[in-house]
Amino acid sequence: MTETTPFQIVLFDSTSEALLAEKLFKKASIPHKIIPVPRHLSSDCGVCIRFSSPDTARVRSALAEGGTFRDITPLG
Amino acid sequence: MTHQIDARGLACPQPVIMTKKAIEAGKDCAVIVDNEAARDNVCRMAKSQGCEANVEERGGCFHIRVTRGAGRKTQESVMPATGPTVVVFPSNCMGKGDNELGNILIRAFLHTLSEITPRPDVMIFFNAGVKLTTDGSEVLEDLHTLEETGIRLLVCGTCLDFFGLKDRLRAGMVSNMYDIAETMLSAGRVVRI
Repeated sequence: MTETTPFQIVLFDSTSEALLAEKLFKKASIPHKIIPVPRHLSSDCGVCIRFSSPDTARVRSALAEGGTFRDITPLG
Repeated sequence: MTHQIDARGLACPQPVIMTKKAIEAGKDCAVIVDNEAARDNVCRMAKSQGCEANVEERGGCFHIRVTRGAGRKTQESVMPATGPTVVVFPSNCMGKGDNELGNILIRAFLHTLSEITPRPDVMIFFNAGVKLTTDGSEVLEDLHTLEETGIRLLVCGTCLDFFGLKDRLRAGMVSNMYDIAETMLSAGRVVRI
């Protein structure tokens, strides 16, 4: 497998967590995209937030300001 | 033709993605994975694609034989339409109830539309739906991707004018009620968001 994963996704336990997290992304001006949770992953919330892998540290610190999420995982 | 996929040591969801690509390329495959989660995920995905998945455990690894079965998902299983498929966006939200939720849903929907088949032939935006096509819309990237695949995007000119957005159109073409009505009435099916 030589493919790299340019994107990561943040998974949530609820849609309200996703909405709140998106506000934190916007506040920190981190480029992102709302996408459905990929079919092969399971999550109680149907949407997740996709962002560029190099922004992972920024995302973690932005979400530390009151955001809750289940996991951050590479988007294959 | 059996396609060999050695997915040992790869983190989820890589084994699933590799297998899915092979299935989509019309190949049967023999997949090797080294953990139960990957085995279950590959099998579940294969079945969702209408394939058979037979697992054998050998030497601590799982050998999964994925065979494209008779129950294979095909385009024929999709209801045939005699005219173009038209998706209409009467609002910049998906569904009614809560606008914040509707905004999230429509973004997820448009992202998905560019990844799945069948695709629409035409997308029509009217009333607040035109806001999806103008400056500052969060779905412009998706709309451009869809346009590049040949989908026509018709945007109601009356509506752009009403919202003062006429010079801020960033995706699709300004259209009028004749085009919009004719397109909807000659459609094989109309999907309303």
